[in-house]
Amino acid sequence: MNFKLLEMCSKCGACYNICPSALNLPGYDPRAVIADILEGNYEKWLTHKSIWQCLECHYCLEICYQHYGFESAMTAMRTVATKKGIYPPQVKRGWDMFAKTSRLGEPALPARKKFGLPEPKASGADEFKRLMAILKESREKASSGEEK
Amino acid sequence: MKEFAVFWGCTIQTRFPFIEKSTRMVLDSFALPHRDIDGFTCCPEKSLVNNIDHAAFVVTAARNVALVDELDYDLVSPCTGCVSNLATVKCELNANPVEKDEVNSMLKEVGREFTGKAKLHHLVPFFHDTVGLQTVKQKIKRDFSGMQVALHYGCHMIRPSHALKNDNPLEPVKFDNLMAALGAKSLQFNTKLMCCGQGLDRIDEHENALHFARIKLKELKAIGADALVLCCPSCFLQFDNNQFLMEKEGEKFGIPVIYFTELMGLALGFEPEELGMNNHRVDCSPFIEKWEALKARPPKENGVQATLRGPSGL
Repeated sequence: MNFKLLEMCSKCGACYNICPSALNLPGYDPRAVIADILEGNYEKWLTHKSIWQCLECHYCLEICYQHYGFESAMTAMRTVATKKGIYPPQVKRGWDMFAKTSRLGEPALPARKKFGLPEPKASGADEFKRLMAILKESREKASSGEEK
Repeated sequence: MKEFAVFWGCTIQTRFPFIEKSTRMVLDSFALPHRDIDGFTCCPEKSLVNNIDHAAFVVTAARNVALVDELDYDLVSPCTGCVSNLATVKCELNANPVEKDEVNSMLKEVGREFTGKAKLHHLVPFFHDTVGLQTVKQKIKRDFSGMQVALHYGCHMIRPSHALKNDNPLEPVKFDNLMAALGAKSLQFNTKLMCCGQGLDRIDEHENALHFARIKLKELKAIGADALVLCCPSCFLQFDNNQFLMEKEGEKFGIPVIYFTELMGLALGFEPEELGMNNHRVDCSPFIEKWEALKARPPKENGVQATLRGPSGL
């Protein structure tokens, strides 16, 4: 996360009148989250629903004169939270399914038949799993390198 | 036109196979060179995978793009999320050669290479820019003049704009132009570009998701929209399924939710049942019935033709 940009972001607020969550969800206030991140007090937000209420619509990014958008601070908070094992239950279920199957659901076969749709193409699941193993390995290598 | 692979995505194939059906019927009707290819996985979904593991997000998307890269195809999808996620990663890697090398060194071990040359399109801008609205106008059998629809762009069809570069991210026009080509009036209203809010259902905040759906549906009812037309399976889930759930609780809006491929299919002369529109949870028949009633109306030029013909008009 770029703290210089986030600090500039905290002094602006041009996007709060276009952010759908800020406009429609009472209690959702990205300013409070950003202020705490800049102070180094972000811990309390990791268990707070606010960091997940950012819908990643990218409005803040588009309207921002720096093309920055506070969403990147929210994404960072979510990543820190999930690294500590803090997830909304559905997010955890979705991630587990993705990691296990490479997809978020399998093609509905009886319905495909009913609509006369062709057989679904071969999945890339095996290759995906190998790729995830390679990623894990390269991370382990990098972290053991750091220790040395 | 360059051949292209269709990226169907998880949501359409898992939950809404009828959207795949109408999309195929439309692609075939326009005789577009679409292909199905082996090996795609989840795009993957940004709000889920990117939040948890950015590297997994990047390599998974890069691998999907590599599949079309090596066949020298482009990629087209009827799902906004898939295109946005794939384009985000493509843009990130093309802008960062070091990261691209790292990703490619991993992809090489499974025999793939991301070059980033494939073009990635959502179907709406694809029809607008590549097929062309003139072709759409020529091809359709019956237009929607007399019908007024509310468009929902779907955040990820047009944003992030640095990756998608396909329309104005704050004042988009291409979906509106496509509606105009189909002869439908696209209504202008306050919540037109408001995010659907389906993401709230994905973080176990169902009441807030309904709150978001309600805001838009209320306005659509007030302005007399004949249907909500959209281009994203998540938005479809939000407005069709959640509207149905509210209906069951006695809160009825009665706004048919129509995927743009279904609307195009109708214009091409297919029946609603062939397109699978009877599988929606919110009844589409008010829209269809109004359109059918318009069909019974004599064409506008009738009066003129009648006066020109006849004994003295030759």
